[in-house]
Amino acid sequence: MIRKITLWAVAAIITFGTLSFVLPEQEKTQDPADRIIGIWEPSNGRSRIKIDRIGNKFYGRVVWLIEPNDADGNPRLDINNPNPELRNAPLRGFRMLKDFVYQGDDTWEEGTLYDPNNGSTYNGIIKMRDNNTLDMRGFIGVEALGRTDVWKRLKMPSRKKK
Amino acid sequence: MYKLFKIMSLVAVTALATSCSGPGEAHQYDVNDLEFSMEGPLFAGPNSAQVQISIDLEDLLQDTYVEGMEVSDAVLLSATVRPNDTLGFDNINSVVLSFASDNEDVEMQEVAYKNPIDANAAMSELEIASDLDLGELMDEGRVYVVLDADLMEDYWDGNRDFKLDFSLELTIK
Repeated sequence: MIRKITLWAVAAIITFGTLSFVLPEQEKTQDPADRIIGIWEPSNGRSRIKIDRIGNKFYGRVVWLIEPNDADGNPRLDINNPNPELRNAPLRGFRMLKDFVYQGDDTWEEGTLYDPNNGSTYNGIIKMRDNNTLDMRGFIGVEALGRTDVWKRLKMPSRKKK
Repeated sequence: MYKLFKIMSLVAVTALATSCSGPGEAHQYDVNDLEFSMEGPLFAGPNSAQVQISIDLEDLLQDTYVEGMEVSDAVLLSATVRPNDTLGFDNINSVVLSFASDNEDVEMQEVAYKNPIDANAAMSELEIASDLDLGELMDEGRVYVVLDADLMEDYWDGNRDFKLDFSLELTIK
């Protein structure tokens, strides 16, 4: 009988001890704002954007381009940037989503979207339809006059040994 | 007579406002040996690391600091990146430096870059976007310094570490 109780006690300690280590980590990942973090592909499939967090805002960088090089075989540059001093910056790695803040209700606002094809910056609103789908709306001035693109989440590349 | 008095009052208010919003005083603010670690596994393409710094005007100005002083303008003067591991700049295509803050009204700014980067260099002086006014960002006091390094290699299991030095000219009033 005593042995049985001891076994139960040990089992309980192991269970609750493990939970106390696991729960705080789970709570951390449950911040709904962070659900947007990951790699996303716009509907044209010509680029992939990695969204991550800096402080309390969210940013998206170009991490893959279907055509990474220009006609001369050199890495594509941000040649349409309105700031001439940044036109030699590489397009891969460019932050085209900036300063989005989570507003609740699966919506991120207050940020901007940059279109490297014409160097224009638009106001942006991101709505998460489901865990793998974003409605990315860009507009100038009036939201109703904007355009929405649907982005799909990509899985992280599988690990391979070097 | 009343009209003249009104005009004179307006001129006086304008002069007062102009004197209060004077040009301020320029100070150089140096940040050295800021450490960045891009934690592996790293994949080909841009990889990012961030460090938060505090702009402490009281520490910068010492005895001349007066409560309520703020940064009105800021310009990046120089920025230098150097490797903080034995790998140097091997397999690094380019680096980009940006500043950001938590304030919803203040946008992130790309402030400097080097493209391409010399793989054999011991350090790399970044090219500065000199016409950017970073005053609003620096006046926040707490700023995220973000370093992006574009990796050529398809996959790297370890970390890549860098150090950054930069100088700002802060106009304080």
